[in-house]
Amino acid sequence: MLQYIFFEHPFFAATGLLYGAATAAYAAAWRSTRAAVGRLGTAFLAVGVALNVWLVVGRWIEAGREPFKSLFESLVFLALCLGALYVVLERLYRTRVFGLPAAVMLFGCMAYALAKWDAEIVKLPPALQSPWFMPHVMVYFVGYAALAFAAGVAVVQLLASRFPSVRRLTAMRAGTMLTGQALDLDQITYDVVRFGFVLLTLGLLIGSVWAKSAWGDFWVWDPKENWSLVTWLIYGAYLHLRKVKGWRGDRAAWLQIVGFAVVMFTYLGMGMLPTAEDSAHVYTGQ
Amino acid sequence: MNPSTSPAAAVPASAPNAAAAAAAPKARPASASSEVTRIALLVGGVVLAGSAAQLFVAPGPWALVASALLAGVAVFALGFIVSGKLRQTLIGFRFVAVLLVALAVAAILGTLILQGKPEALYRQRYGAVGDLIVALRLDDIFHSVWFGGLIALFAASAASSAILRWPVNARTAGFFVCHLGLLTSLGGAALSSTLSVKGRVDLHAGGQSADAVAVTRAASGERAVPLGFDLRLDRFDVVRYDAEYRVGYYAPRRVAAGDRIQERWGLKASFDPDLARHRLPGGDGFRIKAIYPDFAIRPRPAAAGAGEPALEVVLEGRSQWLFPGGRIDGAGGRVAVLFDRVLPAAPAVPTAVLVSAAEGKVVVRAPGGESAAPLAAGLELAGGLVRLEDVIPSASREAEYTTRSEEWRNPVVLLEVKEDGRAREALLSAREGGAVRLARGGALVFERREDEVKAYRSEVTATAGGATRKAVVTVNEPFSFGGWTFYQANYDPKDPTYSGFEAVKDPGVSWVFLGFALICVGVAWMFYVGPRLRGGGIKRSPAPTGA
Ligand code: HEM
Repeated sequence: MLQYIFFEHPFFAATGLLYGAATAAYAAAWRSTRAAVGRLGTAFLAVGVALNVWLVVGRWIEAGREPFKSLFESLVFLALCLGALYVVLERLYRTRVFGLPAAVMLFGCMAYALAKWDAEIVKLPPALQSPWFMPHVMVYFVGYAALAFAAGVAVVQLLASRFPSVRRLTAMRAGTMLTGQALDLDQITYDVVRFGFVLLTLGLLIGSVWAKSAWGDFWVWDPKENWSLVTWLIYGAYLHLRKVKGWRGDRAAWLQIVGFAVVMFTYLGMGMLPTAEDSAHVYTGQ
Repeated sequence: MNPSTSPAAAVPASAPNAAAAAAAPKARPASASSEVTRIALLVGGVVLAGSAAQLFVAPGPWALVASALLAGVAVFALGFIVSGKLRQTLIGFRFVAVLLVALAVAAILGTLILQGKPEALYRQRYGAVGDLIVALRLDDIFHSVWFGGLIALFAASAASSAILRWPVNARTAGFFVCHLGLLTSLGGAALSSTLSVKGRVDLHAGGQSADAVAVTRAASGERAVPLGFDLRLDRFDVVRYDAEYRVGYYAPRRVAAGDRIQERWGLKASFDPDLARHRLPGGDGFRIKAIYPDFAIRPRPAAAGAGEPALEVVLEGRSQWLFPGGRIDGAGGRVAVLFDRVLPAAPAVPTAVLVSAAEGKVVVRAPGGESAAPLAAGLELAGGLVRLEDVIPSASREAEYTTRSEEWRNPVVLLEVKEDGRAREALLSAREGGAVRLARGGALVFERREDEVKAYRSEVTATAGGATRKAVVTVNEPFSFGGWTFYQANYDPKDPTYSGFEAVKDPGVSWVFLGFALICVGVAWMFYVGPRLRGGGIKRSPAPTGA
């Protein structure tokens, strides 16, 4: 299979390898004090994202439609959203500490996409030919990417409260990181979740407008709809709990991780539900 | 991180957040635990009371909306009349969070338990638990009284907290807009679930028009509702994607089927029919050496004088090349075709087709008499029994692959497969099937992809009084007229004139969407506009309160 991927789909292979290399470099940056190591991670990741853009655009051209139809296509697009968002946030927060969780997730997306490889590009069925399809998926996936990043920060936060070495990484100047300041992990998670929450809200709205124009009902309590609502409600609860005493720090981080687990279940787990047979939303093997 | 040392706690007291200040009930000792008790009583009480009420009221749109409305107004009013503590609980962040989680749990239950199925199915699937599900009416969670109760708390809380923060200012506008949106959406949803009507309209192209909807869902229980106008189907088309040809690589997979192991073949990779060299998942390689869209095998043409004439004859659907002296006979010996340089002698068959290459002439001898025609490709003879397909004035006896035209009528590819450095060739036809089996286990086939459906397209005309309107309805492009919206919903492969529509009348949906839009704007304002108005550009939330 790998030989086939390298020969027939070299850009896919290169993107996956670059994300793998970024994972290694960012992991090394957690230990090393040499600035070049962290910079290498950023470089690998940025080039990976550039190739990832091409993967999505190329697929778009080849398929003659938005490349979000199959699970494989959506994973590649999710990787792009997460990678691009990460690059922006690395600049914004001036730290490479989160490079490791981000790169691990990016590599994971590509590895899973490889496992769910599309034998063939499928056509867009009538139900998906809607002007709402593209904004719906894009908004949700950028939102998912933000929540994935926030989950990564939450993991670092939990590690930092257990391991002094990690705490030092986030609390003081480490040569490979951009920042010289201590990071307020709680606040970063919160900021990114708020961004993601706006997109979840928008995605839910667009989805419901689309459902109305395709099926005649804006809400049918379909499993995927329900779980999107559940994610929205859980992050809503997180945002409100932030203002309740005792709900910052580790507790907030755990809640954030639970929220992200629900996001992942909404994205990938629908097939496991007993109600899935009635759903119009479940990704089929195609 | 300890919240008391977080920068969030360092929001300057000189820039107080009015909303947050109001949100924070005065911190009293031990208020947290008594608040938790009150929350548990409220949420638990509503669910229990709702479940109890459910024993007397069946779930349904009216049960849901009436319970939400009554309980909502009651809780809201009690919050303002009876006790300040109740109100403080109601608008507290902790309560909101618990409520949102409770709603999430209800939504999750609705995906774990099949909804709206016949009662017998639950018994059959879940046994004794199934009886419990039916008794508690968990088969219709989203129309149940207890779910209505949760919505009631939600609405009462949203309304109370907004009212307590009155008046609006630029900084709190996001919060108000968001809450107004929540209430607007809920109101719209209530209208929608009680007043919307959904039904079917079945039409035939050029057939009778419809003036009523066969109702499939309405809170009122009506069976048929007049449209108030006539709807006619002028034309219905199933539009398909263009056919495509692909080289598919299939590989077997062993799957357990009962106690036996079965081999199931699945498509693993697929290639455009191009001339590039390709690698297969198994590690082998192939390339297409030639593509023949309209495949034929025919004698290789030769220079004039160097070869001999050749004629392709199709007799009873069978095609054959004849060289001088050649002959082809039909089944039962009733017809024969003879080809030679000069006109051949007629054999003893009822119908004889005699072709002379040198004279360029065809003679047909039949019981009815004799006729002659100049020799040409495409000639139909003996009442369509015989067809002269192709003529080559000078051909060698060697055959070659060729294409009759550039149209994809009978596509065939010539593959070169490379396994472990050894190459071999194979011819694959999309029409006739066949596969190249690879030593390592896979197989290559050349196949036509089904022309998948691209669109279901109905042209309709609505007539009300003297006014008419024409429209095209497709999936995702409904047609609205006279308060109804028609959705392309059905077709019948056996009856190409039939098209089925879903007809919906929903007075609540615009309110739902308006509410959603307000929530989006409100939340974005809360996060990105409001904080900037406070002065500093830092997006810091107020410190946690004791609430
Ligand atoms: C059910 C009743 C609700 C009440 C009583 C309530 C109450 C509040 C209050 C008092 C605030 C603080 C406003 C401020 O900082 O000025 C707030 C913030 C917020 N509310 Fe609600 N809310 C409710 C429901 C919801 C729902 C359903 C959502 C969407 C899921 C939501 C989303 C938000 C968001 C995103 C914030 C901003 C939080 C932040 O600044 O981090 N609220 N809510």
